[in-house]
Amino acid sequence: MNAALDVKKISKIYGEPPNETIALKNVSLQIKEGEFVAIIGPSGSGKSTLMNILGLLDIPTSGEYFFENRKAANLSQNDLAKLRNQKIGFVFQSFNLLPRTSSLKNVELPLIYSGVGKKEREQKAKEMLERVGLGDKLFSTPAKLSGGQQQRVAIARALVNDPFVIFADEPTGNLDTRSSSDIMQIFKDLNNEGRTIVLITHEIDIAKLASRILTMRDGQIVSDVKNRPKKQIIKSKRKGV
Amino acid sequence: MDFSEVVRSAIEAIKINKLRSALTALGVIIGVAAIILLISISAGLQKYISGQFEKLGTNSIFILPGKFRPGPQGGPPRAVNKLTFKIAERIEKQKNEAIIDVSPFVEIDVTVSYKNKSKITTLAGVKPTYFVLSDIGAQTGRTFTDRENQVEAKMAVVGQTIAKDLYQQENPVGKVILISKKSYRVLGVLEPQGRAGGIDIDNQVLIPLNSARKLTGTDQVNSILVRTSSAETIPQAKERVEKILKQSLSEDEFSILTQEQLLSSILQIIGVLTVALGGIAAISLIVGGVGISNIMLVSVTERTREIGLRKALGARPRDILSQFLTEAVILSFLGGAIGVLIGYLGSLVLSNFLQTFVPFWAVALGLGFSTVVGVIFGVAPALRAARLQPVEALRHE
Ligand SMILES: Nc1ncnc2c1ncn2[C@@H]1O[C@H](COP(=O)(O)OP(=O)(O)O)[C@@H](O)[C@H]1O
Ligand SMILES: [Mg+2]
Repeated sequence: MNAALDVKKISKIYGEPPNETIALKNVSLQIKEGEFVAIIGPSGSGKSTLMNILGLLDIPTSGEYFFENRKAANLSQNDLAKLRNQKIGFVFQSFNLLPRTSSLKNVELPLIYSGVGKKEREQKAKEMLERVGLGDKLFSTPAKLSGGQQQRVAIARALVNDPFVIFADEPTGNLDTRSSSDIMQIFKDLNNEGRTIVLITHEIDIAKLASRILTMRDGQIVSDVKNRPKKQIIKSKRKGV
Repeated sequence: MDFSEVVRSAIEAIKINKLRSALTALGVIIGVAAIILLISISAGLQKYISGQFEKLGTNSIFILPGKFRPGPQGGPPRAVNKLTFKIAERIEKQKNEAIIDVSPFVEIDVTVSYKNKSKITTLAGVKPTYFVLSDIGAQTGRTFTDRENQVEAKMAVVGQTIAKDLYQQENPVGKVILISKKSYRVLGVLEPQGRAGGIDIDNQVLIPLNSARKLTGTDQVNSILVRTSSAETIPQAKERVEKILKQSLSEDEFSILTQEQLLSSILQIIGVLTVALGGIAAISLIVGGVGISNIMLVSVTERTREIGLRKALGARPRDILSQFLTEAVILSFLGGAIGVLIGYLGSLVLSNFLQTFVPFWAVALGLGFSTVVGVIFGVAPALRAARLQPVEALRHE
């Protein structure tokens, strides 16, 4: 089986010489459908840059990227928008919910862009929020929710179009220990259902929940190891980051 | 993303930031209100003048001094006025069956006073028939008679403003009024006339035509109104009048205009005025458009992260474009609607002082123009939003 995400010798360079920053250096990587990949590494090592390229939010300076066998460089703006909408779910460290907008409306957003009618949209958004345990917070705005709850709204939003892959960039970075484990449990469940997860984290304990751990340094993948994930999420970990 | 959804989310975005939305629309509100108000004033003036001419009926011709060139550049002629009472009398004597009445008209600015109060007003010398033909009567007292005109009676009928300003609580009827320091007796007070185009029609004093002739000391008249037996006999009357006038005046010293010609010339002049005023107001609307553009640009910058997020969730460039463009158009349309309302209310308030009228086309113009402004000035910010790169937009703080 071909890899769902196939990165071939990509580099990403910001700025012009002599002040350029090489964020990614000749990176190659294959991710198969159903994998749970954790990416760790120090700050500035290129984790987010790699994930943005994988998630079709950014384009590499050189090299090729195939998303489900389609060459990213050949995709139009509209094709990219459609893939982000249908195939990809994003979860960000800072939640990125629309302020002053209810959980329900936030979760409906991807459905609006796929042209789903109002009734069906509300129904699906409600189901997703119930699924992440927020059935009683449908009409709360982000300001009324805790960090953990906000991140669960964001996960519901990422899931609502039933994408095959979820990209999460330090999703627990702004959360306390308890909320972190709740969120990680959701990712774990999603992966058990067969969804592909790519997750960036600082914390090795969290990375250990994945089936594969990539370590990055200076724009390169310095190690790529299979991991036998822990069945249970350990509640005792270093406090915050 | 279907259109109703675009509109709904635009309205939501507008509601979420009410203050900014109001500020954005403010320029358009002011511009449209100004357009409506200015148009209502000149449209009211047009209506008033048309009404006055209607009262005169269609069977009249006007003799004016100088060569009158109809059209916007024409305007009232500035030539030396050679129309006189004598000429009017000659027409009266030589009239044919098509002509039933010849009324010279004298109008000068004078100072009138009573006790220690005085006021500058318009003094008009009119025939007693004037009151019937113009459908103006006395509210109290009476107007003058043919006989009083013949004997050059020193009698006057005053407008409401004169009654109020000079006599205050007193009843002017029977009192003395000094006109250019000569004393006249007040016979009556005219019915209220209102204002038109900023001119107070109630600020006038009417005296018998022959008395005015004596008062001015010259033989000059401002114009001569000739009434014909019917609308059909106008050409006949015109021909006769022209022949008589040519006996004593050269061709460019007088003009003969039918009621229709005169009215259309005057309306044309006011029309030009309306367009000019509307143009000035339209400039303020363009300033309003620049305001929309600026605040929309600020809004795009402020919402860069939101735009990045929407793109990450699957918004196409055209979805973002239509979102911001729709917001701009709705804002300016709402601004236009509020402006129309304010302009209309303003014209209602003004109608206490002068005749105003808001024609339907002014409302359509205000709304249409504000919408166009929204489109034109919304495009730049909307395009900028649509072209944002998702990663960079998401990195934006
Ligand atoms: N838009 C950008 N412009 C310039 N430099 C950037 C930009 N984005 C990332 N970088 C640089 O690229 C490198 C990798 O960044 P990033 O992928 O965000 O690292 P990580 O997510 O591992 O912390 C860093 O040195 C960062 O400063
Ligand atoms: Mg990062």
